[in-house]
Amino acid sequence: MSKKRPKLKPTTLVELPKETVGVYRPPRQQVFRDHRRFGFSNIVLVLVILFLFMPLFVVITYSFNASKGMRWTGFSLQWYYKLFFESRQLWRAFLNSFIIAITSSVVATILGSLAAIGIKWYRFKSRSYIQVISFLPMVLPEVIIGISMLIFFSAVKIPLGMFSIFVAHTTFNLPFVLLLVSARLDEFDFSIIEAARDLGATERQSLTKVVIPSIAPALLSSMLMAITMSLEDFVITFFVAGPGSTTLPLYVYSMIRYGVSPVVNALSLVLVLGIMVIALTFRRFLKTIAASS
Amino acid sequence: MRKLSLLLLVGITFLLTSCPKEEKVLHLYNWTYYTPEALIEQFEETYGIKVVIDYFASNEDMFAKLKAGAKGYDLVFPSQDYVEIMIHEKMVLPIDHEKIPNLTYISPLVLEKATYDPTMEWSVPYYMGAAGIAVNRKRVSDYPRDWSIFSTKKLANRMSMLDDLREVIGDALAYLGYSVNSVDKKELEEAKRLINQEWKPNLVKFDAEGFAKAFASGEFLVVQGYAEAIYEELDTELWENVDFFLPPSGGPMYLDSMVIPKGANNTEAAHLFINFIHTPEVYAQFLDRFHFPSSVNTAAAPYMTTEPFYHVEDLENYELKRDLGENLTLYNTLWETIRYNE
Amino acid sequence: MKRERQLGIIYSAPMGLWLTIFFLIPISIIVIYSFLKKGLYGGVEWQFTLKAYQEMFNPAFLKVLWRTLWVSVVATAITLLLALPCGYAMARSRHQIFWLALIIVPFWTNSLIRIYAWIAILSSEGFINELLLSLGIIKESLSLIYNQQAVITVLVYINIPFAILPLFTTIDKFDFQLLEAARDLGATKRKAIFKVLLPSIRSGIITALIFTFIPIFGAYTTPLLVGGKDSYMIGNIIVDQVTKTRNWPLASAFSLIITLLSTLGVIWILVSGMQDKAKGVVK
Repeated sequence: MSKKRPKLKPTTLVELPKETVGVYRPPRQQVFRDHRRFGFSNIVLVLVILFLFMPLFVVITYSFNASKGMRWTGFSLQWYYKLFFESRQLWRAFLNSFIIAITSSVVATILGSLAAIGIKWYRFKSRSYIQVISFLPMVLPEVIIGISMLIFFSAVKIPLGMFSIFVAHTTFNLPFVLLLVSARLDEFDFSIIEAARDLGATERQSLTKVVIPSIAPALLSSMLMAITMSLEDFVITFFVAGPGSTTLPLYVYSMIRYGVSPVVNALSLVLVLGIMVIALTFRRFLKTIAASS
Repeated sequence: MRKLSLLLLVGITFLLTSCPKEEKVLHLYNWTYYTPEALIEQFEETYGIKVVIDYFASNEDMFAKLKAGAKGYDLVFPSQDYVEIMIHEKMVLPIDHEKIPNLTYISPLVLEKATYDPTMEWSVPYYMGAAGIAVNRKRVSDYPRDWSIFSTKKLANRMSMLDDLREVIGDALAYLGYSVNSVDKKELEEAKRLINQEWKPNLVKFDAEGFAKAFASGEFLVVQGYAEAIYEELDTELWENVDFFLPPSGGPMYLDSMVIPKGANNTEAAHLFINFIHTPEVYAQFLDRFHFPSSVNTAAAPYMTTEPFYHVEDLENYELKRDLGENLTLYNTLWETIRYNE
Repeated sequence: MKRERQLGIIYSAPMGLWLTIFFLIPISIIVIYSFLKKGLYGGVEWQFTLKAYQEMFNPAFLKVLWRTLWVSVVATAITLLLALPCGYAMARSRHQIFWLALIIVPFWTNSLIRIYAWIAILSSEGFINELLLSLGIIKESLSLIYNQQAVITVLVYINIPFAILPLFTTIDKFDFQLLEAARDLGATKRKAIFKVLLPSIRSGIITALIFTFIPIFGAYTTPLLVGGKDSYMIGNIIVDQVTKTRNWPLASAFSLIITLLSTLGVIWILVSGMQDKAKGVVK
C-alpha cells in the first residue's frame, strides 16, 4: 500500500484512488447478493432493457438502409458517408452540445451535491428557502422557463449563446442532482462524520475522505442524468440559444422534418459506439466507483 | 476544494465565452435546409464571409424568440404575416435598394400581393408557395382532387391535415368560397362546422411534424402538406406513386421573405446575401433543390433543370395569409373547439 | 453549533445563489406577466388585469387538464411498477455498472429520433404489426399508434430511466440482511418486501415519483408526435399560448397554477414522509 495521500482532482469528484489509506468504506453485505437465481425482478429488468433498446435497433437498422424511407431496400453506407463528409453544420451542433453537456453537468453536480450535504445535515435560516427554490425548476413547464430566462438574459444584457445555454442547463439540472444525492444521504450515517471529526479530521478531510467516497454512486448517477438531460433538451435551449450556438437537439429537431433523418440515425449509432469505447477505456475507473458503493 | 471548483467555474466560463471572434460572419436565422448548403458555400467562397445558420421550425417559434429579446441575427426568413407583424412592431431594419441590384428580378405580381410592403422597404421576397394535398396513388384511386377529399369516409383514419390553424381554417373558408382571411363570424362558423363534422372525423390527426414520414411509410394515404417535405422523404423512383396537387378551390398561400432584424451586426453582409441569392443562376439552384416553381424571381426559370412539383399558375386562386391582429382571437376560439375537444 | 450553522450555509449558498439569480428572478417576471394585459403580438402591456385567470376557466381547457391528469397518473404508475423491480434487480446484481450503462445508453440518442423510431415500430405496417401478422396471431393490422395508448407507451419509455436511477441508488443502500431477518422471523417473501423493503426505500420511491410524474404532466413532444387528433395535453396548450395564440399572460397563469399545485403536492408528500419517520413507521 502506498503511503502517499490520495489527491482529488477537481474535475473528477467521483474518482477514487485504487488503494487508499484511511478512506472510509461503508459496511457492505456480500452474502445476500444472490445473483444465481433468475427471479421475477431480473426478468422485468431484462424486458425493460429490451424495451429501451427496441427503438435503438430500429434506428441502427435504418442507418444502413439504402433507401431513405422506412422500407428496407438494401444495405448501404451512404448515410455514414454523408455524416462524416457532408454534415458540417451537424458536427458543429454536436460539438456545442458536447461542451454544454459536460460543463453544465459538472457544475450542477458540484453545486447540487454540496447543497444536498448542507441541507441534509445542517439547520440554518435560509434552508427551507433553498429547498423550495431548488425544486421549482422541475415543476415549471419548460417553455415558461425558456421564455423567462430569455427575457431575463436580454434584460441584463447577457448575450445569448453558449454561456446562456450553459446557465440554463445547469439550472434545470440542479434539482435532479440535489434530489438524487439527498436520497443517498438519507441512508448515510451521520455519526461516521462525527467519528471522523473526533479523530481529528478537518471539515474538508471528512468531506473528501468520508462523504464523497460513500456517495460516489449518487454523484455518478446525477452526473449521467445531467449529461443525458442536457443532451436531450430542446425547448429551453431553443429560447436561450443565440446566433451560432445551435445544439444537436435544435439541429436534429429542425432537420428531422425534412427527410434527412437517415444521417441522424447514422449519428446515433456513432454516438452510442463512441460512448461505449469511452466507457470501456474508463472501465477500471468505473469499477472503482462501483466497488465503493 | 472550493478554490479549485471556483477555478473550474472560471475555466468553464472562459471556454463558453471565448468563441473565436472572426472578422466577417453572417448569422442567418432560417427554416431548416431552406437555403441549400452548396449555395452557402458558394457565398462564403465568393465574398470571404463565414455563414453561421441557426434554424427554426415555425414562424411562431421564431417570432416568440425575437419578441422576447433574442439578438444577433443578421438575416431572418419569416412568412408574410410575420413580416407584417415585425414591420408593425418595428423589429426590422430598412432594406437599402442601392446595395441589391438584383431586386429588379423580383416579380411585380408578387409585390402586388404583398400589400404590407409593396416597395420592399423592409423585406425582400424569398419564395412564394402553398401547401397542397398528396395522395398515395398506389393505394387510393377515384378521389376528388379538392379539399373535399377529407370528407371521404372510406379513407377515414388514414388522412392528416396540418396542425396549423390558419392552414386548416383557411382551406375550409376557401372551399366554401370565402376569403382565407375572413373575420366574418357566420363564415367562420360555417368553416368550423365543415371541419368538425365533415373533415375531422376522417382524420387520424393534425400533424405538422411527421406527416411526410407517415406518408412515405404508407401509414397516411392522404396528407395536407408541403410538396418539398413530402418528396424529400421518398426515393426518386417512388415519386410517380404520389399525386400532389393544389386544390383548385384555392386556399392560403405563403410568401417567405428576408428581413434584417434590429440588432443585426452585419447588415452589409445581409444585403450581399440577398443580392447573391437573387442572382438568377443562383436562385435557379435553390429552386432546383426543392423542385419549386419560379414564383418570385422572374429571371431564374431559364436556368432551371428540374420540373417543379407544381406550377405558378396553380397558385391562381390562392391568397396570402394576412396578419389578423385582434381578430386572431376568433380563429383561436374556433381552433380550440377543433383541437381540444373529443 | 454556531459553526455548524455556518457550514450549512457555506455548503448550500452556491446553489442557492445560482438559483436565485438564474431562476427565481426570471420566474418572478413570469409571475408579474400573468397579471398583465396581453400584447397584441406576444409580450405584455403594462396594465394590471386578472383576465388571464378568468380565461383559464374555459371548459375546453378543463377537458384537456382532465385528460392530462389521467394520462399522467396511468403512465407514472406503469413507470414505477416497472422501475421498482429493475432497481431491485440492479441493486442486487454484481454487474451494477453494466446494467446502469444499459439503462443510460439508449438515452444518448436524441429523444426525437427515438420517438420517430417508435412510430416505425407501432405503425400499421410497422415491426410489431408485421411480426404479429407473419406469426398469424392477428389477421388485420392493429392500430397501435396515434392514440392514447401510444402516448402512454412512449411516455413510459422516455421517463423510465429517471425512475430507475433514484430507485437503484436507494435500494443499493438498503441492508438486505433485514430482508433475510424478516424471512427468518416467518414473513413470506412478498411480505418481507412490502413491509421491510418498500418502507425503507420510501425516499427513493418519492424521488422517482416526482422525477416521472412532473415531466409526464408537462409533456409536449410525445402527445404531439404519437398522439391522435384528440391527444392534446396541458403542455401543448401552454406552448400554443406562447407561440400560436400569442397570449403570454395566460401561459404564465397556467404555469403558475401548475407550479403551485405541484408544490403543494410535493410538500404534502415530504411532510407525510417526515411524519412517518417521526412516528417510526420505518420498521
